[in-house]
Amino acid sequence: MDQKKDVALIHYLMILPGVGFIILFLGSSIFITVAQSFGLISVTGTSRFTLLNWKTLWERETIDSVLFSLKMGVLSSVGTLLFAFPVGLFLRKGGAGKRFLASLIKIPLFIPALVAAFLILNIISYHGIVNEVLLGLGFIKEPLRMLNDKFGWGVVAIQIWKNLPFVLLIVSASLASIRDDIIDAARNLGANNWAILFRIYIPLAMPGILVSMILMFIKAFGDFPITSVAGPTYPPSIALRMRNTATLFQEWDKAAVMGVIIIVTTLFMTWLYSRLAQAVEGGNP
Amino acid sequence: MRASSFIAPAIPLHVREARRKRLIYGLLTAFFVITQILWVGAPVLMAVLWSLVDPEHPWSFPQLFPEKLSWAQWAYVFKYTNIVRALKTSYSVAPLAVLLSFVLSLPTAYVLGRKNIPGKKVFMLVVLLPIIMPGMVVALFLSRVFAAFHLTQSFFGLVLAHTLMGIPYMIRVLTTSFEAIPQDIIDAAENLGANTFVKIKDIFLPMVRPGLLAGMVFAFTTSIEEFNLTFVIGTPTFETIPTILYSFLGYNFIRTNASVVALIMMTPNIILLFIVERILKADYLSASLGKV
Amino acid sequence: MSRLVLKNLTKKFDDVVAVDHVNLEVEEGEFVTLLGPSGCGKTTTLRTIAGFYVPDEGEVYFNDRLMNNVPPNKRNTAMCFQSYALFPHMNVWENIAFGLKMRKIAEAEQKKRVQKALEMLSLVGFENRKPAQLSGGQQQRVALARAIVTEPDILLFDEPLSNLDAKLRVQVRVEIREMQKRLGITSIYVTHDQDEALAISDRIVVMNQGRIEQVGDPHTIYLYPKTAFVAGFIGIANIFTGRVRERQRNRLLLDAPFGQVWVQSEGMEARVGEEVRFSFRPEDMVLYREGMANRIRGTIVHAIFMGDSTDLFVDVQGQRLRARGGNVAYGGDVLKFRPGDLVDFGVEETAFRILI
Repeated sequence: MDQKKDVALIHYLMILPGVGFIILFLGSSIFITVAQSFGLISVTGTSRFTLLNWKTLWERETIDSVLFSLKMGVLSSVGTLLFAFPVGLFLRKGGAGKRFLASLIKIPLFIPALVAAFLILNIISYHGIVNEVLLGLGFIKEPLRMLNDKFGWGVVAIQIWKNLPFVLLIVSASLASIRDDIIDAARNLGANNWAILFRIYIPLAMPGILVSMILMFIKAFGDFPITSVAGPTYPPSIALRMRNTATLFQEWDKAAVMGVIIIVTTLFMTWLYSRLAQAVEGGNP
Repeated sequence: MRASSFIAPAIPLHVREARRKRLIYGLLTAFFVITQILWVGAPVLMAVLWSLVDPEHPWSFPQLFPEKLSWAQWAYVFKYTNIVRALKTSYSVAPLAVLLSFVLSLPTAYVLGRKNIPGKKVFMLVVLLPIIMPGMVVALFLSRVFAAFHLTQSFFGLVLAHTLMGIPYMIRVLTTSFEAIPQDIIDAAENLGANTFVKIKDIFLPMVRPGLLAGMVFAFTTSIEEFNLTFVIGTPTFETIPTILYSFLGYNFIRTNASVVALIMMTPNIILLFIVERILKADYLSASLGKV
Repeated sequence: MSRLVLKNLTKKFDDVVAVDHVNLEVEEGEFVTLLGPSGCGKTTTLRTIAGFYVPDEGEVYFNDRLMNNVPPNKRNTAMCFQSYALFPHMNVWENIAFGLKMRKIAEAEQKKRVQKALEMLSLVGFENRKPAQLSGGQQQRVALARAIVTEPDILLFDEPLSNLDAKLRVQVRVEIREMQKRLGITSIYVTHDQDEALAISDRIVVMNQGRIEQVGDPHTIYLYPKTAFVAGFIGIANIFTGRVRERQRNRLLLDAPFGQVWVQSEGMEARVGEEVRFSFRPEDMVLYREGMANRIRGTIVHAIFMGDSTDLFVDVQGQRLRARGGNVAYGGDVLKFRPGDLVDFGVEETAFRILI
């Protein structure tokens, strides 16, 4: 279906302010990142093309940070989905209690990420309320180290708390768009609850699931403030390492390499999403 | 048949089943609601309590509630930290960033919303990039660009940076608003003799006003919450509420100070966004997808 | 294959009684239609048979087995939905095979059955298409194939043709009926379209406000309606109330608002002075001929030429009567009637139906 195209210079001129602004600033930033990773436009010393900076890729510290950030990305997106999906299923049918529940759930959406980080780290800290309650109830003998722990659970907890409403919103919309008579038809043909979950709900909600998971992954992978505040001392997230390499050690070129790693991973995930979305799209109206 | 062997008719199985289902359903809803209240309420409550702890009576285990509540911490934060300066900075950068975003976004949104230009899909993707691109990377290397133009540690640089983050929301919401204007209305106006100026003044602007309001609120709150760019480009000369909060969360984790700043940062946000959700339709909430 | 028995079936939603003590027996292989206006309870009844609703009172039996508490996915019924309800993410083959997969039928057997269904419904070649790539009629056939391939005890149809255009509807309903006859599966069909019901049913169950008004084969329902509702819902009817003026052995003289008429009254116990409700069909109102028991003189208000027949709205002593006749019945001159014309009509005694 070919729609009539509007091609006029005036239209492109009108797009220029908004889109142009973005391309200008974002573009220059990314350009500099890539350039400096190859030694060009260097801040310190001479500027010449070199691949030397890229040996950072093989350094133990870089690898550890990348792996850690990947871990945070995967755990945050999967974890949030695991919490959000059942609630989304539950909210599919309306009802008075449910509307109230939905507004409650939305609250972290309005809370800035840093504030969320503080709120959660406040309660999961060594002397925080969660530990006190668990100690008081006798579930544990000594407080759990949930903050700045080696694994990164503190970060994951904050990410899940903060992003649950976001994922829930998207997944709920996907689930709600599934017509009731499709579920009836499946049941009529002999499907039990598990079959309906795996053959109907999940496949049909897949677009929403994919979007939310990829967006969450990207955000958690490239995160700086939350991991610097609640994450382990070692390894730092790749974004934190990048920033420290640049501002503390003034090794901008090396930092640029890490920047490129982060950008490439983000772009790869976006590309992966569009491929998956296309594959799924074939089935969904 | 003996009288004692007569058994009163039991409640039919299917009625019992229906009742049981309702009970389970009700319990499940209650469970979710209670869990949610704790999940959201406990952290917020903790922050509020901690901000009100009296410095003479520190709060520690095994007390369930702080012994004494007072505004002392709040007074301390306002007097001895840079919070006032940060508030000034935050609340002067934000309106300017919003204004700039609006001016830059309006023509773009018009074209994207009402015209079918080639490459439209690509442009829509570009508009989303600032939200998708990893914040600290952009911040770090944009600061290099800014440094070349003496824009680091400058108020103008901050405004530019915040505008960059606000434009995506503004464009998306305005585009949706423009799309929603039915062509017939414009045709009717033209048919009745309206020129471009009148069309803008009396048709377009009024009809995108709800979307405009939503976009402004989103851009505003994005600016208030913006951290990565401000942290790299603004500090230490310029501090905003997020950077102040961050400073209290790092090595010198002063729980009480952090609580106060967190609440200062959170409250106007929640109020503003609740207003948006109440007044406007759900479209605008979903248009801000990506507001993570 | 199953007999179906509904005993005192009752279903309420809050205060509304959707199905009110319905009793029905359906024989193996029968094609029974539940017919009625929106809200009459036909769909609720169907969904209760399918197991989506649990009855508040009464029982559902398949072949003497009490089904009340059997969940929908454990009954061997198959339903065709108004909106087809095809799984959008599966292709035609997977849609049809779904029920077999759920029943854990062996692969080879699945293949065989799906292939047979594709052939029976002229869907060969469409196996890999997704529902979005099919026309309405094709989607309908896939829904049908999906239902019959599981060899259900009872086939359920929930207004399956409502979303098709008129010509297609007429064609497909015949196909459905023929297929059902061939397979011999007990079928319950819900519709509000009385033409459809008359065309394809073994028996029709006319429902109104949760209750059954009348059950019978199409002939009986149309020619011998028992209640005013049935008379008025199926086809068009002239329905009036008259007082008994005179009583003879086999017939009554009624004082109707439009005049006096003699009606056959086999077996009816009616006393003089009693009020009796009756109906007669427009096609029974013909041009008066010598010897007819009833002569009705009226003024033409509207004459509507329908192509193969003419619809007449006739004013008789202030009452509005409907008459209809083919071109032959009205003497061949189709432009004969004009508003204002005074015409003598006749209705045979046997054409009247006494209603309860």
